[in-house]
Amino acid sequence: MKRTNIRSAAWRHIYAWALILFSIFPIYVVIISSFDPAGGLASSTLLPQRFSWVNYETLFTSPTIPFMTWIWNSSYLAALNAILSIVVGAFSAFAFSRLRFKGRKTGLQTLLLIQVFPAFLALAAIYVMMERIYTIFPAIGLGSHGGLLLIYLGGSMGVNAWLLKGFIDSIPMELDEAAKIDGATPFQIFWQIFVPLSAPVLAVTALLSFIGTFNEFVLASLFLQDVNLRTVAVGLQSFVGAQFGANWGPFAAGSILASVPLVALFLFAQRYIIGGLVSGSVKG
Amino acid sequence: MAKIKQDSKPVRLGPLVAKIIFMSLLAAGLGYMMFVAFLAGENLIGGVLALVLIASFVVYSSKGLVPLKFLLPGIVLLAIFVVTPILYTVLMSGFVYKTGNEISREEALTQIYETGYVPDESFTAFYMTLGSYEGEVSALLTDQMTMTPYLGANGVATELGADQVQLDEYGTAVGFEGFEPIGFDEAATLEAEIIDLRFDMGEGKFIRPESLDAALLMIQAFTLDGASGELYDSVNDITYVDNGEGNFVNKANPEEKLFPGWRAFSPLENYVGLLTDPVIRGPFVNVFIWTFSFALITVATMFAAGLALAIAMDKPLRFKRFYKSILILPYAIPSFMSILIWNGMFNRDFGAVNQVLGQEIDWYNDATLAKLVIIIVNLWLGFPYFYLISSGALQALPGELEEAASIDGASPAQIMARIKLPLLLQILSPLLIASFAFNFNNFNIVYLLTNGGPINVLAGETAGATDILITYAYKTAFGSAEQNLGLASAISVIMFFIVGGLSLWSLRRSKVLESVI
Repeated sequence: MKRTNIRSAAWRHIYAWALILFSIFPIYVVIISSFDPAGGLASSTLLPQRFSWVNYETLFTSPTIPFMTWIWNSSYLAALNAILSIVVGAFSAFAFSRLRFKGRKTGLQTLLLIQVFPAFLALAAIYVMMERIYTIFPAIGLGSHGGLLLIYLGGSMGVNAWLLKGFIDSIPMELDEAAKIDGATPFQIFWQIFVPLSAPVLAVTALLSFIGTFNEFVLASLFLQDVNLRTVAVGLQSFVGAQFGANWGPFAAGSILASVPLVALFLFAQRYIIGGLVSGSVKG
Repeated sequence: MAKIKQDSKPVRLGPLVAKIIFMSLLAAGLGYMMFVAFLAGENLIGGVLALVLIASFVVYSSKGLVPLKFLLPGIVLLAIFVVTPILYTVLMSGFVYKTGNEISREEALTQIYETGYVPDESFTAFYMTLGSYEGEVSALLTDQMTMTPYLGANGVATELGADQVQLDEYGTAVGFEGFEPIGFDEAATLEAEIIDLRFDMGEGKFIRPESLDAALLMIQAFTLDGASGELYDSVNDITYVDNGEGNFVNKANPEEKLFPGWRAFSPLENYVGLLTDPVIRGPFVNVFIWTFSFALITVATMFAAGLALAIAMDKPLRFKRFYKSILILPYAIPSFMSILIWNGMFNRDFGAVNQVLGQEIDWYNDATLAKLVIIIVNLWLGFPYFYLISSGALQALPGELEEAASIDGASPAQIMARIKLPLLLQILSPLLIASFAFNFNNFNIVYLLTNGGPINVLAGETAGATDILITYAYKTAFGSAEQNLGLASAISVIMFFIVGGLSLWSLRRSKVLESVI
């Protein structure tokens, strides 16, 4: 009995270690490459031989790689989208969860059906539509952050509303009944009861939305042609995709810089994110 | 019981002021945009803006309609930026809409007419004296054969009597009352304007300047027969007919098209092409099969690896926390970044993978290897997610089950295979279906890793071996050679049906739709 236990434990460790090696292999490679002064993929080796910060310096100083601009573009677009889609989503979720009105059930079912279609499936139509909007409103048309943000908002609002509704449903009805008797308007109930109570959930939904937008590539590459307007996903792809050999070092450094804050955020909010995962949102 | 009286509720000033400011800003912003849109002739966009403006005023200034007060922003966003593109995709898929067929029929006809202006049969030419008449750039024209003078002004050529004009020694009209001649130097500065001058002679003929002192009589070679819809080229004596697919084609030889074409409404054209045209069907079928196999294989491998890990870590284990925090890393790194990193690592000459293997494998140039690379990298990206959900579900299984089974003499392996696994599959099936749908449309993994390749462009291939439907649609719509937005939309519509059907089926199974409360 004892022996089988040890043997079974050994298999568990071996399997876990196999996956750990698999997991850290690219991370290891990219860290090594980022400190290798030669910079090209051609010179990269599996064992670290030289050490320098030159790849990081390139990122901050090279005029052809506006890396910090890309990071900023991605961050502020993702943050704005997260905040706005949560606000709009929370409004809708509150109405669906707490208010009784005609067409509510149909509305919910429609929302549920619409949100299964990823926005980028309609890419040709989005392109033509935004091209036309561009001719009159360049700030929210093709090629602009404003237009991209609007498409993102439309796409993420449905999912967020659906997730938040599930949470608001779990808040006891007695709370708002008490507030109603005290003469609170629906807006006061929303603002003074639900928002504070759902703050952690709102934060996690916003974080998931942030990560989702940060990773978005299709629409951003369709929309943003101007080098200085690109998000980090489109920017890194364009500069590394063309010539992997030459830009490998700076790319490695850039991917580390861009990943660290997100990984930290993810690990910090791990517990909540995993709760959200099991209740239905998917990445990967 | 006393009725609660709410009428005497004091009006609070703060919210009221905020509301007024909010409404004014909204009205100003939307109103301005509406104005600009209508001014630019975009009545559809203007109309939508007007609708939004009216709706927000009705909803936010009334006392009732509380649910709509909360729902309106979401409804507007979803309607304009999600539902409209979806409907527009369906509409576009019914059009021949590709490179060479991008404009409306009217615009195409205008451009065809532009190419159809030719000198008349007898090459009627005019001496021209430029000047200004009623403040406009005008010309005095004299027919070189008949010496009839004309005044060309405001787009019209008017025949003048011989007594109305002053002639020079060659009999060319050089003066007319109200006409102020300008010299060559000044005319040269107006060249752009002069090139565009057209003086209508009626019957489709007009006079057009050829230089600064000569003009030609032009006629339109094309005549469109309103009744039959046939376009006749009088110069080459060719009759063109509308082929119903957005082009005029030679009646005698339908392969000979007149360019440009236009977006033609032909509802089934693109779909029929996908099913019957071998040039389109061939790659489409391959892409279709690979999309399904990829989604199935990748979900199966990720789930198997994640579940096995969850089972391995289900028991108390040393270093469990340490393992867990490393194993979650692939999931925490932004996925586009990981994919690009893996892309470099599978490089044939310098990639880390070949260095470890000590080989020189050309991963991206072989269809099977490229597919393998995609599956491996997606496994790396996705197994932590399946580990997390599997271990969550494992812990949620009631412990009594295991106890009861082991009392009945079942081995741990039997308990796992016969009791826990079936239960797990049932709990996780909505997430597995969702993941299938996600990977079905996993643009990033394909586009950033192999870019759909390998592809033999020289052999005329339009889809690579690893292209999935979404990347194929993207290339079809925005490719470098031909951009076929209509066909791309048709592919999108097919994807809508697959993703929608799959999700609907999943929702039905889990009874979410019915249990909406």
